[in-house]
Amino acid sequence: MSAEDGQPVELLFPGGGEMARRMRGYPWSGISMGDPGTWPASLRTACRICLTSRFPMIVWWGEELRFLYNDAYLPLLGSKHPALAKPGDEVWTEIWHTIGPMLRSVMDSGEATWSEDLLLPMNRHGYWEETYWTYSYSPLHDDDGVVRGVFTAVSDTTERFIGERRLAVLQDLGAQAGHARSVAEACRLVAEALERSGADVPFSAIYLRRPGTDELTPAATSPRDANVSPLPGGPGGWPVDQVLRTGESVVLTDVAERFGALPSGGWQTPPTQAVVLPLAGETGGGMIGVMVLAASAGRALDEAYESFLGLVARQTAALVNAAVAYQLQQRRAEELTELDRAKTAFFSNVSHEFRTPLTLIMGPVEELRTALAGDGERVPADRLRAELDVVHRNGLRLGKLVNTLLDFSRIEAGRMRARYEPVDLAAVTTDLAGVFRSAVEKAGLAFEVDCPPLDEPVYVDRGMWEKVVLNLLSNALKFTFDGSVRVTLRAKDGHAVVTVADTGIGIPRHELPRLFERFHRVDSARSRSNEGSGIGLALVKELVGLHGGTIDAESAEGEGTAFTIRLPFGSAHLPPDGLVAPPPPDTASTDTASTDTAASAARSAAPYVEEALRWLPEGPESPEDETEALAARADGPRPRILVADDNADMRDYLRRLLRPAYEVDVVTDGQAALEAVRADAPDLVVSDVMMPRLDGLRLVAALRADPRTAAVPVLLLSARAGQEAGIEGLDAGADDYLVKPFSADELLARVRATVERARLRAHHLRWHAAMIESLQEAFFVADENGAVIEVNAAFADIVGYGPEGLPYLPRHPWLPAETDDPVTYRRLAEAYQRVTSHGSGSCVVPLRHGDGHQVWVAATFVAVADPGTGERRIVGTLRDVTAEHYLVQRETALAALSVRVSEAGSVSDALTGALAELREVWRARHVTAALWHDEVEPTLFRAGPVSEAGTETGTEAGHATGTGKGTGWLDLPAELRDRLAELRGYPPLRPLASEADGAGVSLEHPAGILTLWIDLGQNRPFTAEDQTLLALLTGHLGQGLHRVHQLDQQREAAVALQRAILGPSHLPAGFAVRYEPATRPLEVGGDWYDIVPLPDERIGIVVGDCVGRGLEAAAVMGQLRSACRALLLQEAGPAQVLTALDKFAALVPGARCTTVFCGVLDTTTGRLVYSSAGHLPGILAHPDGRTELLEGGRSTPLAVWPGRPRPEDVRTMPARSTLLLYTDGLVERRRRALTTGIDQASAAVQDGRSAPIEDLATQVMRRMAPDTGYSDDVALLLYRQPAPLEVAFPAESSQLAPVRTALRDWLNRCELNPAMIQNILVAAGEACANAIEHGHRDAPGRTVRLRAVATAGDLYLTVADSGNWKSPRPEANTHRGRGVALMRALMQRVTIHPGAAGTTVDMHARIPR
Amino acid sequence: MTTPLTMAPSRRSDGTPVLTVSGEIDMSNAGELDAALSGALSGASVDGHALLVDLSAVEYLDSAGLTVLFAHAPRIELVANDLLAPVLTISGLVQVTTVHGMGS
Repeated sequence: MSAEDGQPVELLFPGGGEMARRMRGYPWSGISMGDPGTWPASLRTACRICLTSRFPMIVWWGEELRFLYNDAYLPLLGSKHPALAKPGDEVWTEIWHTIGPMLRSVMDSGEATWSEDLLLPMNRHGYWEETYWTYSYSPLHDDDGVVRGVFTAVSDTTERFIGERRLAVLQDLGAQAGHARSVAEACRLVAEALERSGADVPFSAIYLRRPGTDELTPAATSPRDANVSPLPGGPGGWPVDQVLRTGESVVLTDVAERFGALPSGGWQTPPTQAVVLPLAGETGGGMIGVMVLAASAGRALDEAYESFLGLVARQTAALVNAAVAYQLQQRRAEELTELDRAKTAFFSNVSHEFRTPLTLIMGPVEELRTALAGDGERVPADRLRAELDVVHRNGLRLGKLVNTLLDFSRIEAGRMRARYEPVDLAAVTTDLAGVFRSAVEKAGLAFEVDCPPLDEPVYVDRGMWEKVVLNLLSNALKFTFDGSVRVTLRAKDGHAVVTVADTGIGIPRHELPRLFERFHRVDSARSRSNEGSGIGLALVKELVGLHGGTIDAESAEGEGTAFTIRLPFGSAHLPPDGLVAPPPPDTASTDTASTDTAASAARSAAPYVEEALRWLPEGPESPEDETEALAARADGPRPRILVADDNADMRDYLRRLLRPAYEVDVVTDGQAALEAVRADAPDLVVSDVMMPRLDGLRLVAALRADPRTAAVPVLLLSARAGQEAGIEGLDAGADDYLVKPFSADELLARVRATVERARLRAHHLRWHAAMIESLQEAFFVADENGAVIEVNAAFADIVGYGPEGLPYLPRHPWLPAETDDPVTYRRLAEAYQRVTSHGSGSCVVPLRHGDGHQVWVAATFVAVADPGTGERRIVGTLRDVTAEHYLVQRETALAALSVRVSEAGSVSDALTGALAELREVWRARHVTAALWHDEVEPTLFRAGPVSEAGTETGTEAGHATGTGKGTGWLDLPAELRDRLAELRGYPPLRPLASEADGAGVSLEHPAGILTLWIDLGQNRPFTAEDQTLLALLTGHLGQGLHRVHQLDQQREAAVALQRAILGPSHLPAGFAVRYEPATRPLEVGGDWYDIVPLPDERIGIVVGDCVGRGLEAAAVMGQLRSACRALLLQEAGPAQVLTALDKFAALVPGARCTTVFCGVLDTTTGRLVYSSAGHLPGILAHPDGRTELLEGGRSTPLAVWPGRPRPEDVRTMPARSTLLLYTDGLVERRRRALTTGIDQASAAVQDGRSAPIEDLATQVMRRMAPDTGYSDDVALLLYRQPAPLEVAFPAESSQLAPVRTALRDWLNRCELNPAMIQNILVAAGEACANAIEHGHRDAPGRTVRLRAVATAGDLYLTVADSGNWKSPRPEANTHRGRGVALMRALMQRVTIHPGAAGTTVDMHARIPR
Repeated sequence: MTTPLTMAPSRRSDGTPVLTVSGEIDMSNAGELDAALSGALSGASVDGHALLVDLSAVEYLDSAGLTVLFAHAPRIELVANDLLAPVLTISGLVQVTTVHGMGS
């Protein structure tokens, strides 16, 4: 086939591509596009471009947008190919909703458009794919320039778009680095990041490997709440174990079969593929877990997608590894901290262990030295011995401590030199136990030693073994208070087994694992002594270990503890160089050896035994010296001191030091001290810090917490050095603190000072209490919970609650309930709030006295910290202000009521205002009043409920029988109606209070009896004071109502008067007036204006101002105004009028000094003759914008100089000028020159010189008004020359000439140029002629009205008739149409308003300057 | 009361027929003008001359008068004054007939 114009199809569809071939072979003539030969050139060109391009391109042609495309487009088309020349919507059905409208818009508008990165879900490779395209659409015109098709070039941006999005996912993941503090948090952060990336990772799950195992546990998923579990009977779950085992990732393509629908990440179909990937550990480490990443169904899981998911897993692994590293580091830091803490505790304890014996050595030695220096011979021998015993014992103890520490450090350093010799372990152990027997038995315990001889010797280092056994025995004695201590030895399984068991307090189960730990002390165990370095058992374990043995502890709390040591027989397990031969049997007999062993044991054991003995209770104290007791009695009562220390030596030492000056009691621990103090408080407690049962710090805390013992002074003794320890003691509430070792003098000095201070403090306390009791004001102290814990006598009087009821917990009985009195509740809460925030607060509130009556108090609160305990307290005083309150309330209420009544404009207003006030005074729910007059049902007045904020929600008044929204009489509750009715029977102003909920009263209203009821709500008594106040207020209200009633009447009279005397009711044309009285509600005052029509088109003009305001001034004004008007009507000139007024004013009280402007205006010429009696100058605004003041003809105010002739002046008002006369209220302002006001008024008139005169009057009044309104009477009079022309004539053509003459006259008075006059005459004449024509036709004889108004720069004409105009149609009515055309041509603006009642023509012409 | 209007036919020395009008012309008396014009034009005296209507003493002319003048426009020439100039110009009469005496 070839084209008709001869162009071969090869040229039309060039190239050898598939599409070119298809196009050449296509039966075009069978479809709407027709034979290619008939195609427009643009289509043919487009086809050529399309077929020869390597970019995907489409030509859409015709109304159906037939689809032509090239080879490059084939991949995009996918399985839709072939689709040549199909209508577009059949090819791209699934995206037509997106591209259809775009194509259509190009077709319609002819403007190109494009869309970037357009998401087109596309099924081109057998699945719904997420693809992005950038399309451009350009119009294709046919040869006539009409848009017939669209040319589209397409680029596939899917790869770029997806690539950028994946990069963003990886960046988001990377941004999580460094945030996670734990592995769990790291997993959560990853999951959250992936949840934001659902398009690329619709589902993910992280499984973490449990450290040290191959167990995997789920850690996080995205989305967070994804519930993904294998389908029953499906291929199974995620192959996570396989991946963990092999370290190789696995791609799953049967995800849907395994799990059903996974979260789709926003895509239309759920994922079908997923990758399970290993999460690698740090370099060298194993795997930390496995990650499942599902692939979106919108993208094939190709290589790029897989590598992206691999990167996600790598990022995840990095984040998790970082968290692991962080946690490891954290743990290491914690371990180091723990070690440091243990060491610090150890040194602190060791220091204590040293200091106590050191004190007990230094103290006695010091004392002895002092005694010897003084008079050596007088030191008794027994005292000398006792002191030296103490020194010796403590020397031993120090030595033992040093040895233990040395042993330990040797073991630590591995330098312990043991000498293992075969010994008879039974004999050695029995001997060692023997030296402890006396101590154990002295403690009241049974002591059982069961060590039968063994068959073979055991290799031990004797010294070490002694330490092992003695430490264990010492330990048993320390913690056993009842029962027994038992030592047994048996041979078992090749070991010698030694057990030391007691029936002591036992060791808490959780402490057992740490029992042998260095520096570890089992806390809060009850013991005979709190002394111990925490290394005894650790040393034992080390020593046993050196023997190749083991030691175990078994214990049950409250039952006892058993330590079991196992030592292997023989020497094979010991270092050969440590072995020594047994002593030759011939050099020492068994007896000797045995004796030696026992002696050695006794020697080694001495420090242990001595120490243990000092823990045990002693016999009764030796009675005090007779002389001491006598001396004590002579001095009066000596201060008593309680000494608490678990070390017997220390107790003795302190007692010896203190006894000469004080009575001393001793106890062995803090608990005993607490009990002793509670039983009978001493003047001072001297206590050690480290004690069994209850240590010194906790003793102080317990004493301070109890009010009975809080004041007992405490002096703490501690071996722990350092400032911190001191602060700790003082913080706990100790009065003083002494660190061991201390000298005797120091101790005595501190004790003396503390006792003295305490006595002084006690004195202060008594003084303080007496002072508070003597206060006239109620005083209380509340703790931080608000409980009142202290009150004085005045409190009991004022509030009615005395100290016997303490403490008073909130809510205090004297407070009103929140529901009863929310205002009081809120005030108190605010005052308390201020105390909390600012440290103090105050308020005046009503309280309920214990006996039930209401008491008003001024309360002041201050927050203070208790000096003893540091606890927060609130101290408050209350002053009874009941009397003052009622006085103030009365005054305030009276004042408020007076204001309400005086502000009222009517009796009804006054009453509703007063009710609102009453409701405010009593914070009443509502106040209702009924006015009883002749009618059956009373008129109601009501002050509605108070909203929570206390604002008034409304006061309403409504007649009972009236309609509308007001509450009617019958709408009231029957109870209230009864009450209101009943009150009528009571004498006026005698309040009647109900039991609980309110009160009522009756009073005289000008119109009858008024009864009112105050509803207080629930449970609010109406007190006697309230009744007095109510009587007082209603009394005032009654008087006030009568006063307002009188005022009402006066006002009515005044309004009537005003109507009679204030200016003419009908103004002549051309005038505008305003009157603004200063005193509301009166509408008249001392200022006036008057306009008096006189013969010959003349008009008398008067503006005057009497002294004063209000009704009195109005009365004077009325007389002057009438007089002035009468004089003018008698044809007197202005000067004559004022001269006569002078005489008249002299006779009228209050008329002197009235100022008056009086003028006579000839309206035909504008000639104004005027005279001024001290009045402000008139203002004349010329049409050209100038203003002048009428300052001539001036003389004094009225009656100032009677009989003196008055001057006159003449001024002719130019055409279209405006005259302003006024009184001083318009222009006079405080602190401002009068001329300023006059200038402003001049400017106002001048600015409005082209406005209609009425508008000008409004403008001037508004512009001159102060912000707060006029404070003085204002009278204002405006006149513009000439006055408007108003002509009414019958609708007859004969009237045209006379009307024209009148208009011409008037226009001449307006001083317009002749051409303009002629134009206006013609225009007006046409309008009149029209009106007459319609008049003839529709309503013959009707009146036509012509009105003409001139301002400075404008002229307005109005012609009104009663007919209907037709719109002008020149061809139908040539000359009428011509008339309208003339009007429009001659005037600036012509508006024709046709209406049912007639037609009005408005015309406007601007007057040239 | 009718609008004052006087009309006086005359002839110039060159034989041109003249109608001198003075007073005011409105709808109440436009008919009189029409009659006068018709009369003046109907006579054989016109002789091919246009009728010269002298309006220089007319103080008012409205659309009723204009309509009359338009009706006779092809056969009349006008003498006007400044007062009438705007009306004659706006109405378009100046375009269909010769007007003398306008413009100062």
